[in-house]
Order: sequence, then C-alpha cells, then structure tokens
Amino acid sequence: MRNRRYLYFFAMILVGAGLGLLYAWVINPVRYVNTPLSSLRPDYQTDWTLMVAEVYSQENNLPLASVRLAYMSDDPAGLVDESLLTARQLGYSQRDIDLLLELQGALQIYQPLPTGGAP
Amino acid sequence: MTRQRGPWYLLTGLVIGIVLGLVYGWLIDPVDYVDTSPDSLHPDFKNQYRSLIALAHQSSGDNGRAAARLALLGDDDPAAALAGQAQQLLAAGGSQLEAQALANLAADLRGQPQVATPVATITLPPAGEGTQEPPVATLPPGGGVSTATRVATLTITPVATFTPRRLPATPTRGAPFAPEGELVTVCDPFQPPGLLQVMVLDTFGEPLPGIRVEVSWAGGQDHFFTGLYPEISLGYGDFEMQAGVAYTVRVGEGGEALNNIVAPQCSGDSGVYTGGLEVTFSQ
Repeated sequence: MRNRRYLYFFAMILVGAGLGLLYAWVINPVRYVNTPLSSLRPDYQTDWTLMVAEVYSQENNLPLASVRLAYMSDDPAGLVDESLLTARQLGYSQRDIDLLLELQGALQIYQPLPTGGAP
Repeated sequence: MTRQRGPWYLLTGLVIGIVLGLVYGWLIDPVDYVDTSPDSLHPDFKNQYRSLIALAHQSSGDNGRAAARLALLGDDDPAAALAGQAQQLLAAGGSQLEAQALANLAADLRGQPQVATPVATITLPPAGEGTQEPPVATLPPGGGVSTATRVATLTITPVATFTPRRLPATPTRGAPFAPEGELVTVCDPFQPPGLLQVMVLDTFGEPLPGIRVEVSWAGGQDHFFTGLYPEISLGYGDFEMQAGVAYTVRVGEGGEALNNIVAPQCSGDSGVYTGGLEVTFSQ
C-alpha cells in the first residue's frame, strides 16, 4: 500500500511537470517583445541586407552601409554572402541580386578604419 | 487506530511537478526565439528598420515594396508611425536626409489607396513605346467591335498613369518656390501662439511633401519639412514664431524669400494673444 502511494506521488509529479511545461511552452511561453535585429529570421535578414544594398547603390557610402550591416551581424561581408545565397534560394529578382553583388564586391575591398586601441 | 490521510499527497506531487515544469520551461530551457519577425523587435530597432525602409524607398521609389516591408513591423498606422518618427528625428537633431525620407514615404503611403499596390511588378515600356496610341485604329468600325475597343483602351489607361510618377527627390529640383498671395492672419486661441502654417504646392497646385522650409531670424535659423502632418495636407508644415520677432521664410533651394513675417496680435474674449499666420508657396 505504501509503495503504491509513492508510485502515485511520483506519477503526479510527472503529470504536474507535464502541465507546467504545457503552460510554459504552449499556453504562456516566454515572449520576446524586445528582440535585437540579429535574432531576425534569415529571410528578414536578407531583406535588411537588400535594403542596405539599395541605399548603397544610391549613396555610395560604404562605411555607412557597413555600419547598417553591423546592426545585424558582426561580420557584414559574411552577412552579404549569406544573404546572396538566401536571395537566390528565395528567387529574388536579378536586379536585387545585382544590388547585393554590387555591395558584396564593394565590401571585399573595403578596409574599415581601426576604431582605437593602444598606439 | 488508523488515520485516514486522504489524497493530499497526490495534490502535493502535482504541485511539485507543476513547479518543476515551470522552472524548466521558463528558466532552464525556455522557448527559444532565434528566428523572430520584425514586429517583435525592440522599438529602437523598429525605428532603424523603418528608417532603412524609407531610405531604400528613396532609392527605388517602390511604394509597394516599402508598404510590404512596413507591414512586417505591425504598426497600426504605418504612415503615422513614419511621420511621427520623422518629427522625433528632427526634434532630436537627427539626420535631415533620413527625416525627409521618412516624411516622403509617409506622404506616398497616404497618397496611395492600397497598401500593397504592385508598383514594383509593373515594367514600364521604354519611352518611345509609351507614346503609342491604343489599338483603336486597328479595329474595324462597327457596333459589335466597338465594345472590344473600349475594353482595350481601358486596360491600357491605368498603366499610363504610372508614367508621370513623381520621385521623392524631384520637387526640390523643379522651379523655385515663391509666395503666393498674401499672408493670412489666423486668430484662433486654441492654436499654439505664433503658429506659422506653410502650404507648399507644385506648378499644378498639388501639395508637395518632403520640401525643406527654412526659417531665419536675427540671430538664428531653423527648418522643417512639409508632409509631416499628412492628416492636414501633404504640403503642410508649420513653425512656432516668437512674438515680436521678424522672420524670413524660404521654401526649397533657391526659392524666393518672404521677409518680415511677424506674429500678429489678436484680441478675443480671453484678452490679447499672439495669433498665427498662413502662407502658401508654389512653384
């Protein structure tokens, strides 16, 4: 009888844990309302990169384009490479691909100025 | 004597389990949002997103794409959000180019009836082809065929309306702006005192958004853009004058200046107060 009570006790713990997880993961999960740009889904990141490329094609301001890309990733050139892959997978228009290629080419030869450090 | 303890141990187990589940689900391994959407971004990042959308729109002039991108941010009124951000940016001394891009996009969105007008997908014909006449002359005369003629003409007409589309930067490159008519005194105690309301129109009398209006006075100058209050008019902008100060207003680059603008004194039930002025500039 005593053993059965323990069995039921631990069974109820499992049931309770299941209910807790159901509540925490499904009914009321953690809501990230203030997410950073870097957490965006890859297709949104690709669109961000495309916007930067569109603005770059007009402004020709590579340092500013690099800063805008840096909001999304620590590696702006890598972000453009990945965005190009995603853009091709998603069937972006040739004009958009060309804009991304233009930005990619510019970033390959871009050397940002050092931002400080010991003399 | 045996004591009946009842099923309380079951409830205890359930409570312990729920607590363990919540701790695991909320703290140890919470739902991981690595692939978020723009509507969940921090407001500051949303502002950056909005700015980039506006700047990209400035480059491409693609209203449909800009509207689709803005929809991702989940704003109730994207145009109002853009206009509000432009005002905040100017008030904070931020980039004028960015503020203008935001204002232009807000104005363009207010101007178009549908959110996702497929402007991007429309490929306009070369300049030479745009002038060709609809195929009316190729159809033989006759009552039955004339119906088809009208249909063909109607399907072509909407495409042609996109041809003279004004790009955002175009207005400032046009003819200079000059004041039109007289200054109109506005005595309204419910308006901010000394409110200078400027309306900017193009050569066709249409309101123009995104036009820089420069206001200068002895010892200072300031500026604002039209289109930040699309609910009033796309060509509207305003500025609060100080009483007793003479201002000069110039619209756009190389526009004709309007000098010696002084806020009028008005009198009403509440006594004497500083009124406002209205002025219209046109190309």
